[in-house]
Amino acid sequence: MTEKVINANDLNKDFRYEISEKVGAKSLLKCIQCGVCSSGCTVTEYVDLQPHRVVASLLLGLKDIVLSSNAIWTCSLCHRCTERCPKGVDYSFILALLRNLAVKEGIIPKEYSDTIKVISENGFVVPYHGGMKKTIDRRREKMDLPQIISPNLDEINYIIRETGLGNLIKKEVDKKEGNK
Amino acid sequence: MEYALYLGCTIPLRFPHFEKAFREVASILDIELKEMHGSSCCPDPVATQSLNVDTWMTLAARNLAIAEKMGLDVLTICSGCFETLKTVHVLLEEDKGAFNRINAVLNKIGYKYKGTSAVTHFVELFNQQDMLNKIKNAILKPLDDLNVAAHYGCHLIRPSKIMQFDDPERPYSMDNILKTLGASTVDFASKLECCGYCARLNEDIGFKLVEEKMTDLKNLEKEVDVMVAVCPACVSQYDRKEKILSRKTDKILDIPILYLPELMAIAFGVDIDILGLTNRSVKPTKLLEKLKI
Repeated sequence: MTEKVINANDLNKDFRYEISEKVGAKSLLKCIQCGVCSSGCTVTEYVDLQPHRVVASLLLGLKDIVLSSNAIWTCSLCHRCTERCPKGVDYSFILALLRNLAVKEGIIPKEYSDTIKVISENGFVVPYHGGMKKTIDRRREKMDLPQIISPNLDEINYIIRETGLGNLIKKEVDKKEGNK
Repeated sequence: MEYALYLGCTIPLRFPHFEKAFREVASILDIELKEMHGSSCCPDPVATQSLNVDTWMTLAARNLAIAEKMGLDVLTICSGCFETLKTVHVLLEEDKGAFNRINAVLNKIGYKYKGTSAVTHFVELFNQQDMLNKIKNAILKPLDDLNVAAHYGCHLIRPSKIMQFDDPERPYSMDNILKTLGASTVDFASKLECCGYCARLNEDIGFKLVEEKMTDLKNLEKEVDVMVAVCPACVSQYDRKEKILSRKTDKILDIPILYLPELMAIAFGVDIDILGLTNRSVKPTKLLEKLKI
């Protein structure tokens, strides 16, 4: 194991409260470091920080280490950590909030940022316009399934922008406006 | 019995044959389904929630508001949709701040979220006693000779404080439904394991999980005829990766994966030509032969 010295002045003492102030994540402060979350974690052997160590680092205020760790994005969202925690710590929700913070700092894997673009353009996570739409519609018609009535994309994009993800879809909107 | 049917995106756009099977089953069981026109992606519990919890909750609340306007509870046919819609429903009940914040955005586009429509997955509905009786009465082709493995997946039952349904460590609802159809269900060590579909950044995780579960099933004393799942991500993950693994390794992994309503439709005697059962990598040929279809 490598040794690492961290200067106490570099600790971000408010980091824990950035997360625990959110309803659903208050439980964070109850962690007793028992490790049950890590022992049942689906991806435990693939992460650089196991769940209980993510929580320990979070509580210590090691913001950069936590937000840059692969642990927060490798999660398979199986919820066994949350299910089994004896103190009721909702680790999977805390992890989602950590990913939100990482996104705000510009750390976003492409696999994740692409999804919101697809939703912005289609209202769905599956492309549904142009030729693709025709193929899908034809297939559904053949199976005697009802026609899909798509959502109003202005509504969807209004929500995306108002809730803070406008920067991830902005380019697309600008492009469309530029074409007008 | 009437529900607002929430289709989501993956099933209607990529796997419409799952939707077909579900609609056939629902119609046989006298469940009236009303379409939720204009609903969007739930949105998906992995990427959208990860990017911004408020975006995730607001888009979900918009979908729920559509059902509320219809005055109906929501029925989901995908575990991902169930997870998003049910979790948001519960979170917004607990978090008044978020409730107000989200409604402020929704009001601007003419929606109001009240929290009056409950969210149900069809497994939860089918496992109710009166539905199990109905299922029993609808059987034309009992699955007596079949050994079936149930894959519950993660989002259907966990976290239980939110999903409030079934036992998160010893789930039984799918087994109940399968047994009602006449099938025998198998217990196996990796029954509760995740399919790995949502671990997006590393495909090795999915391959390892699929190989473990399918090998587990092949090693059982009883020969498993089919595995069923109730989420399109799980079905496609096992189906696709099982085929790739049996090419890449020397293991014979050939257990077909069906979406639970497909197997129910078979038991209810639905014409299999309309079910699209061959639309998958691992064809259920042996299964259909065994059922003499």
